[in-house]
Amino acid sequence: MGQTNSNEENKKFRSKRKSEIAGKVGVYLILLLITACMVVPFLWMLSASIKSNREVFLMDPFVWIPENPKWDNYINIWTKIPLLKFVENTVILTIVVTILQLLTSSFAAYSFAKLEFKYKNGLFLAYIATIAMPWQVYMVPQFIMMRGMGLNDKLLAMICLQAFSAFGVFLMKQFYEGIPNDLCEAARIDGMSEYKIYARIMLPLSKPALSTLTIFTFVNTWNDYLGPLIYLRSETKKTIQLGLKMFIGQYSAEYGLIMAGSVVSLIPVIIVFLCLQKYFVEGVASTGLKG
Amino acid sequence: MDEKKAAQVKKLEAESAELMKMIRTEGDIEKKKKLIAKRDGIQRKATAIRNNRRISRETKRDMVAYSFIAPNFIGFAVFTLIPIVFAFLLAFMDWDGSNEASFVGLKNFQKMVGDTFFVAAFKNTIIYVIGTVPLTMIASLALAIVLNQKIKARGFFRTVAFFPYVASLVAITAVWSMIFHPSKGPINYLLLTVFGVPQNELPKWFSGSLVLFTLILFSVWKYMGYYMVIYLAGLQGISAELYEAGSLDGATTWQKFRYITWPQLRSTTFFVVVMLTINCFKVYDIAVMLAGGGDGKLSTSATVLVYYIYQNAFNYWDLGYSSALAMVLFLMVLVVTLIQFRYEKKLSE
Amino acid sequence: MKKKLVSVLLAATMLASVLAGCGGSDSAPAADAPAETAPAEEAAPAESEPAPEAEDTAEAGEEAPAADGEAVTLKWAIWDKDITPYWQALKDNYEAANPNVTIEMTDLGSTDYMTVLATELSGSGSDFDVVTIKDVPGYATLVSKNTLEPLDSYISAAGIDVSQYGGVDKQVTVNGSLYELPFRNDFWVVFYNKDIFDNAGVAYPTNDMTFEEYDALARQVADPTFGAQVYGTHYHTWRSAVQLFGVLDGQHTILDGTYDYFKPYYEMVLKQEDDTICRNYADLSAEGLHYSAAFSGGDVAMLNMGSWYISTLIASLQSGEYDSSLCGNWGIVKYPHAEGVEAGSTLGTITGLAVTSVSANKEAAFDFVEWVSGAEGAKVMAETGNFPALMTDEVAGIIAGLEGFPADPESKEALSVSNLYLEVPYAENVSEINDILDTYHKSIMNREMTVDEGIAAMNEEVGKVLGQ
Repeated sequence: MGQTNSNEENKKFRSKRKSEIAGKVGVYLILLLITACMVVPFLWMLSASIKSNREVFLMDPFVWIPENPKWDNYINIWTKIPLLKFVENTVILTIVVTILQLLTSSFAAYSFAKLEFKYKNGLFLAYIATIAMPWQVYMVPQFIMMRGMGLNDKLLAMICLQAFSAFGVFLMKQFYEGIPNDLCEAARIDGMSEYKIYARIMLPLSKPALSTLTIFTFVNTWNDYLGPLIYLRSETKKTIQLGLKMFIGQYSAEYGLIMAGSVVSLIPVIIVFLCLQKYFVEGVASTGLKG
Repeated sequence: MDEKKAAQVKKLEAESAELMKMIRTEGDIEKKKKLIAKRDGIQRKATAIRNNRRISRETKRDMVAYSFIAPNFIGFAVFTLIPIVFAFLLAFMDWDGSNEASFVGLKNFQKMVGDTFFVAAFKNTIIYVIGTVPLTMIASLALAIVLNQKIKARGFFRTVAFFPYVASLVAITAVWSMIFHPSKGPINYLLLTVFGVPQNELPKWFSGSLVLFTLILFSVWKYMGYYMVIYLAGLQGISAELYEAGSLDGATTWQKFRYITWPQLRSTTFFVVVMLTINCFKVYDIAVMLAGGGDGKLSTSATVLVYYIYQNAFNYWDLGYSSALAMVLFLMVLVVTLIQFRYEKKLSE
Repeated sequence: MKKKLVSVLLAATMLASVLAGCGGSDSAPAADAPAETAPAEEAAPAESEPAPEAEDTAEAGEEAPAADGEAVTLKWAIWDKDITPYWQALKDNYEAANPNVTIEMTDLGSTDYMTVLATELSGSGSDFDVVTIKDVPGYATLVSKNTLEPLDSYISAAGIDVSQYGGVDKQVTVNGSLYELPFRNDFWVVFYNKDIFDNAGVAYPTNDMTFEEYDALARQVADPTFGAQVYGTHYHTWRSAVQLFGVLDGQHTILDGTYDYFKPYYEMVLKQEDDTICRNYADLSAEGLHYSAAFSGGDVAMLNMGSWYISTLIASLQSGEYDSSLCGNWGIVKYPHAEGVEAGSTLGTITGLAVTSVSANKEAAFDFVEWVSGAEGAKVMAETGNFPALMTDEVAGIIAGLEGFPADPESKEALSVSNLYLEVPYAENVSEINDILDTYHKSIMNREMTVDEGIAAMNEEVGKVLGQ
């Protein structure tokens, strides 16, 4: 009796092993498929960026790297359009916005998370309510107001627009709430001012949250299209997204050049992402973004 | 001066004593709390006067707190809150941005009823939202579950899945319109050679009835990595003990998902769905870049609300109508979000 | 509390102004520098060799009250300064004739130029004196926003005979007033690639083609062999390229409200698409193919396009941007016409200059507008290969004599126009009508709607706008 039982269990165990292995293989297959879907467009982009116009759509035979790669596509894009100017504008814009966003959001969030004050809930509600408000709802009045302030066609307009988002405050607040209050209380008893507590205790602890916010802000500002489209009109102020779009319009059939420009526009965001990526999931988890 | 102060203190103390009595008799805990808070305030005021302080400690505390908020809040109030209020007003006005504005009541809203382009934009936006939200949610959840397991090169797969989110829309839509090119693209080439679809029946991905499908497909592809990260964070919050207990009870993978993962992820799912809905209603650049062709104009099969808002504002300079359309957009987002809140509340009870 | 707030506000504004300094410093000089340095360079030669310019200067002095006396700076809105040579030429020549005037150009880019301009001019705060008007819908918007100065009193004071513009002025008159003076007038012609016709052994198109002949010719020259395709003709994605065949008989305009007259032309083009005589609209739209890329690729036999493409084509061939073995041997002929209509009827697009209503130097600004749209400006335009609104035989001669212009007599003959119909004449709601027609053009060409459905929708929607 006991013998058969253990035999059966053995069988069960083996079949379980088998199904586990099959499951693993299935998982990897699915993953590879998804990865292919995710990566192929990027590989196509890279491949097309060194091809001539005729080679781009050549399917039979299809090659990833052409016999004579046209590396000069990467040189020509800098002269065909003022790409350097666009990159410069975008870099300035993105860096200033990201820094302002990180500073002001974490500052305000500290107050919302760790301090008691009048109208706290009301003020926070104002922030939360605007997260649910699509920007497009108020983009027109905002634009009229900005123009009235003389900010039309200035990079400063884009900075004002993007540096004070409700999302940043919300995200940082969620994170700070996860830090035990005792830490602050102990520091207060030691006679530290709130500013010192923020700078000495909170900021060093918030690396994951700050990294997450940096990625979000950087990606959004770098890739924003509608905002610059409305605010930045003259060519010397345009950002890389507008520039790229303009380029696509003018040189519609120069596929290789368009793809080279696209590759160039991707590099900075990908670098920032890869650098901060190790904090990223942790950051999202700790900010309670999950709900 | 001192007499006056003394009188003030006396009055406050009397008030405080009165409140104390009420607190003792009050049965409702919520009300009691409120009364206690009120009494505290009065006592603090009294102490402040007694100690001859010009500013109470509370005011000081508030000021420190406000000084933290101010840099962000001032920017936020000026560039976000004020325009929002302005937008609400503008929806009831007639204004071209230059000449005098005038109040027209509900005229802008009445105009929508017979407006073919508004109706088309409204319909397309809804279809887009209904298509994108569940698909993205399911795809990102599935991906997160897979990537939460102990598998090789997990970090690599996670990074790759996040790539499309990071990539700029202009660049990536340019690639898509090449890959899905109606006559030269590799996708249609495969359909033609491998699946034997006749040449004149090859799908035109960026026009006609297929265009919304392409937009949805693109959005799922681009945004699933982002929501996957949020789900991953949620999954990491579920304690391993729950799964161990499940295994001991002999639960299948599906049962574990159904009875452990899914309920544990409820609040994450809620957050994901709300954010997805809001973001999907805002769709504009994807549509313009994938379906707009050379001039960025959308026909009735691909037009979306934000596109029509933009057109009315910056091409026809009918700012009132454009704001009214924006209000419709806002109302839709609000209603959907509220429904989700209600549903979430009901579930958690 | 209040004090604190005030100080925080102060700090914020200071921060903002510092940032503005940073943001401004990187971009402002780039925009202003050329405009500021150019006049200094210009001023010197103008003064050192006064002899050839003396006459002009004297003339200008009589006409413009502002010309004698203090220095005036006029701010002028333009687009694509680097690739459009005539802006600088107009500025240089005018400044040479009027040494006390400095023209400062601001480049707003050609994509969405009119939208950008309307935004700039909205409300107060704009400092433009002279603005270039690119299209009529944008013009209508600016006029209805009261941002342009009516020019009638200036025109009559200067004694300008507007009939010299061949009736075009009437199509942009708003309630009896004129708000712009045209200086450039482009009309549509058919460009063709002679090599393709030679290889196919087909006779070139002529200056007198009916639509049937044009269609037959396109079919004759096309080669649908996959991989070595040659397209008989090409239609850019603009609605003008197809719809406006219909207005050439002079009996219909784009403002009619009923568009059944588009039908035969849509059918012709869609049929050509089906038979791969021309590129597919859905393809063109997916890749956003520019017409210049299509024609210079050497697989398009004919292209209906505006005369502005002549100077681009010449310049791009000379600079080597276009491969001259693909499209170097080209010619132009007059637009095809419907049966019973005179050859040489074509579509036109005018570009004008207007004076803003906020300008502080309206007199001086108008003097510039008058000069550019007058005989002197016309000469400058023609020398840079463009078609001035003030078209004379002399001007046509200048253009046909340009290096790189096709040598055959037909091409020169194609420059003479018998009837010119504006692509879009003025109407109050013209930008909405324009958009409706664009939208349904797209639907028809994408085959989302049949021709009949599309036209019915145009009739209905434009009817609504006109009925308002």
